[in-house]
Amino acid sequence: MALKPREETLVFLNYGERTLSDDGCLTCGNVAVPVRVLKVQGNVAEVEDRLGERTTVALDFVPDARVGEMLLIHLGIALGRAQEVE
Amino acid sequence: MRYVDEFRNPQLIEKASRELHAIVEPDRVYRFMEVCGGHTFSIFRFGIQHLLPPNIELIHGPGCPVCVLPMGRMDDGLHLADEPDVIFTAFGDVMRIPGSRGTPLELKAKGRDIRMVYSPLDALRLAQKEPERKVVFFAIGFETTAPSTALTLIKARELEVKNFFVLSNHVLILPAMRAILESPDMRIDGFLGPGHVSTVIGVRPYEFVAKHYGRPVVVAGFEPLDLLQSLIMLVKQVNAGSARVENQYSRVVPWEGNERALAAMAEVFEVRPFFEWRGLGFISQSALKIKHEFAPWDAEVHFTLAGLRVTDPKAAQCGEVLKGVLKPHQCKLFGRECTPERPVGALMVSSEGACAAYYQYTWQGAAGE
Repeated sequence: MALKPREETLVFLNYGERTLSDDGCLTCGNVAVPVRVLKVQGNVAEVEDRLGERTTVALDFVPDARVGEMLLIHLGIALGRAQEVE
Repeated sequence: MRYVDEFRNPQLIEKASRELHAIVEPDRVYRFMEVCGGHTFSIFRFGIQHLLPPNIELIHGPGCPVCVLPMGRMDDGLHLADEPDVIFTAFGDVMRIPGSRGTPLELKAKGRDIRMVYSPLDALRLAQKEPERKVVFFAIGFETTAPSTALTLIKARELEVKNFFVLSNHVLILPAMRAILESPDMRIDGFLGPGHVSTVIGVRPYEFVAKHYGRPVVVAGFEPLDLLQSLIMLVKQVNAGSARVENQYSRVVPWEGNERALAAMAEVFEVRPFFEWRGLGFISQSALKIKHEFAPWDAEVHFTLAGLRVTDPKAAQCGEVLKGVLKPHQCKLFGRECTPERPVGALMVSSEGACAAYYQYTWQGAAGE
């Protein structure tokens, strides 16, 4: 896992500070994990959090996710996409 | 592009805090409820309460599913773990919820096959790997978690997995807000709406709070500036005598929510006539039951559940804390018999429970208060 440049880390933090290995209370789930999409295969995506940890998530609820996009995931499933903040 | 730096920038936060002090009317008290446990946690963690004018009071709401789960329901779940062919699966947070015979972790130590999973999909995979056993998933959570359970049940049907069962304890945030609004001693002037629950349900469903109860709702983010901005929005509405639903967290929350997630929930679940909430009692139409079409995967259909009601330990005053009548440290057990290491009441179990957050960030600093 390589450290990300500061600017890129800050983009993740815009949508919450949770990471794949520290994702708070699962049952609350009101705090989802922001991740970047690396690869899309069918309805599964490989994603990376701000610390560079990777996992695969189901895209059933965000079927048109694209590589490079920021998603909010919870329990291994993408729940929504993050809007860029201007 | 704006970064989180700005949402934590001390100058901006100070400015927002000054604005809040300037706009509050000195002769009135503003009581705002943050519905979500994640907000409670952020408020304590960042010390937001110290930045507020003294006449803004934050009331910690019922937005922690672990905290509102009645003990009898946990016992029902653990009763299933007694059956030798059952593998009982649940999230890590559930492992520490005390039932009347102990927590899932304690029963695991006594030899029950209880396993922690990260996602309901993991529990389904376990069922596929162990076809001789019955895998029960103890489902719990609000509208953020319910779509994952729904998706898992849809996949279980697709894959024809016959040894997978879900015990649904999913609850809904809106009926809980309605119950609080209907309560005769309700003194809340506005709500900080939950952030990521709203990613799924959107902002529109909160409109009844404004329309029927005349209270403003601001869906809020979790950063210090998010919270202060949302409080400014609430105070301005209260001062103007208006009640609208506003979305401070539009960078994550779409107005309409996630239609696909809502559709999956609608396919799998129906609303229960009533469900018991710890501390709040029975609330009508406040929880989700698995629909008849998915009965082969419904633990409530497949197994016989005792459905017993277990009274909470008398000394624990979780109910009063949940309703905002008592502050966490005013409970007789707080920090003595009841600590995050050995919780007696549910509010101490989850890191986002009001008592656990208060214990971790506030109480030790204010010892001797």
